[in-house]
Amino acid sequence: MKRNVRSNKYWLDNLRAKHDWLFLLPAIVLTTAIFFLPALQSLVSGFFSINLALSGERAFVGVANFIRIASDERLFEALWNTVRFAAFSVPIEVVLGLGIAMLLSERFPGRGVARAFILVPWALPTAIMAMAWRWIFNDQYGVFGGLLMRAGLVETAPAWLAMPGTAMAAAVLADAWKTTPFAAVILLAGLTSIPQELYEAAALDGAGAWKRFKLITLPLLRPYLGVVLLFRLIHSFGIFDLIWVLTSGGPAGTTRTLALHVYETLFRYLDLGYGSALTVFMAVCLIPLAGVATWVGKSPVAQAK
Amino acid sequence: MRSPKSRYLLLSVCALVMAACGPRTESGAQQAGKKTIRFIGKPTSGGGWKVLIEEFEAKNPDIDIEVVEGPSDTTAREDLYTTAFLSGKTPYDLIYMDVAWVAKFSATGWLRPLDDLFSLDRQKEFLPGDVMGSRFEGKTYRVPLHSDAGMLYYRKDLLASVKETAPRTWDDLLRIAKKLQKPPQLLGYVFQGKQYEGLSCNFYEFVWGAGGSLQGPDGKLTVNSPAAVEALGFLSSLPKEHAIAPVGVTTYQEEEARHLFQEGRAVFMRNWPYAWVLMQKEGSPVKGKIGIIPMVHKQGAKSGATLGGWGFGIATAARYPQEAWRFVDFITSAVSQKRLNQTEGFIPTRKALFKDPDMLKANPYYPDLYEILLVAKPRPQSPKYTEISNILQARISAVLVGQASPQAALDEAQRKIEQVLAR
Repeated sequence: MKRNVRSNKYWLDNLRAKHDWLFLLPAIVLTTAIFFLPALQSLVSGFFSINLALSGERAFVGVANFIRIASDERLFEALWNTVRFAAFSVPIEVVLGLGIAMLLSERFPGRGVARAFILVPWALPTAIMAMAWRWIFNDQYGVFGGLLMRAGLVETAPAWLAMPGTAMAAAVLADAWKTTPFAAVILLAGLTSIPQELYEAAALDGAGAWKRFKLITLPLLRPYLGVVLLFRLIHSFGIFDLIWVLTSGGPAGTTRTLALHVYETLFRYLDLGYGSALTVFMAVCLIPLAGVATWVGKSPVAQAK
Repeated sequence: MRSPKSRYLLLSVCALVMAACGPRTESGAQQAGKKTIRFIGKPTSGGGWKVLIEEFEAKNPDIDIEVVEGPSDTTAREDLYTTAFLSGKTPYDLIYMDVAWVAKFSATGWLRPLDDLFSLDRQKEFLPGDVMGSRFEGKTYRVPLHSDAGMLYYRKDLLASVKETAPRTWDDLLRIAKKLQKPPQLLGYVFQGKQYEGLSCNFYEFVWGAGGSLQGPDGKLTVNSPAAVEALGFLSSLPKEHAIAPVGVTTYQEEEARHLFQEGRAVFMRNWPYAWVLMQKEGSPVKGKIGIIPMVHKQGAKSGATLGGWGFGIATAARYPQEAWRFVDFITSAVSQKRLNQTEGFIPTRKALFKDPDMLKANPYYPDLYEILLVAKPRPQSPKYTEISNILQARISAVLVGQASPQAALDEAQRKIEQVLAR
């Protein structure tokens, strides 16, 4: 028995030493199957004309689909809407998230419960939450308008989702409500990783609260801010479910985002070739955003080296 | 001890993966040698479907009909069918489909032409609009089950209180609504103003009501004709200049409008026939107080109604097309349509049923409805209709929220639609 176990262990160690790639194989196979191959297929399909609502025949068209992107007005409307959505929602989420994280890192009675409760919005499925927001913002029955009326701020409840500016604001608010907890949790993890001694030493040297925040908290939190930004930027750039349920892109197409344009092109217009080219375009758009997040995430310690 | 364990783990993962990739376990019915025919339905309301299906299965012991309950949103169900078809092997032999999907689903080759089964003689028994809407490029792809058309609901009691009769023209609508409304408690007119398919339907009705048309005899699509510009001007004046519709109407779909009307908070409403049945139910505040008429039109023009309506198509990839047809034949028969009318409030597609004494007794408003159905027109028939309508919706919405003038918005829509059609 013993001998058997030992030989087994020997066999495995030997394998690990000589053919370590074997142990990576499951991961490689899996990522190839569910990520690299579909991505490659999208890229390849982008060079073909495949429109099921027409002939459905697959014909090589070179870069025609990518040229069409340049003249796709509705795409640029969607891009602009997406940029506006991300430009408002991400900073709000990060700043609020940081505030909440700093609050939750302080010691106070019931902190554990508070930390658990803060996650509730994040745990809710977006589609369900969006449905609830649709009712909250409803012009006739909406709670939001009702509260304003009761407070005497307005005479009749505004129709939030009916006007271009407020519809986008409603979408940003709904998104911030849901994803601020996500930012808070990651940043909270970052805050707890900062050694308490640094603050004590700084306080002894006479640094005030703002200086301690600026010189210790912010620099040491950068890797975590980078992670939060990366996740939030990518997600808000691909926002679909919230908008689809809340406004379906209206009014006047002012909340129609990139993901809605791609979805409609692929699944509703059945223009698979061009839709694939659009997904490639979307991925390319994400590269500079990922760059920003990576720059923010660079730890100052690493930079100093 | 770790290594054997991890090997077992690896083995079990492999086994799981293989099991997942292997053939699907057949359902009980299939094991018993039954042929399963599946389609996506609406969330069931009246329960009449169930009884009819059980009856059919009792008569056809070799067939098992499986209704997958889909969401109430039409677009969502269209997308469910689409993704199923895109995967290549559709699990749905039957497609319970909206008239608006016919062109797209036929052009893709997903539907089997039914002309051999659904002969011209039999088609003559159905309402002409429903049959016309089931055709694409000369072939028939759908058997109509229940008809649908946009119409104007009005409050008989309120109109009588100011000695008015049902409106016929745009001016009548404005006059009566202004006379009666007390917003926000009582709104003049509610309709579907959200940026979605329903908005296009509302718009078409005003275009036809202004004496215009969308598709010429050659099939050419024109959305910026003078009549269309006038129609959009009228539509957008309802929440704005004339203020007979609430500002929030640009967020309403069918149900938002119905809730307000049913609670007695609106004088007029544009909606489909389904609302009638719900509003005449016991406990509805407007029960017995409502009437329907064809949509109002411009002085000197005629009413227009957007044709809706549902029917059955058979998938090209159907495993059991003959069995599927047997069910279609059964469910669209006069007897079944009558039963579905009683339980679901479905409007029949067979002309004879509008003269049936039982039907008329149960639905005294059917002579009015018949008039509306006869003027109902299909939406522009094109496999690219979804994209065309999406462009229109966004531009109409822009006018409703005051971002563009009717002329500018429709010119832009026309230009974008022509780009789409030129591709």
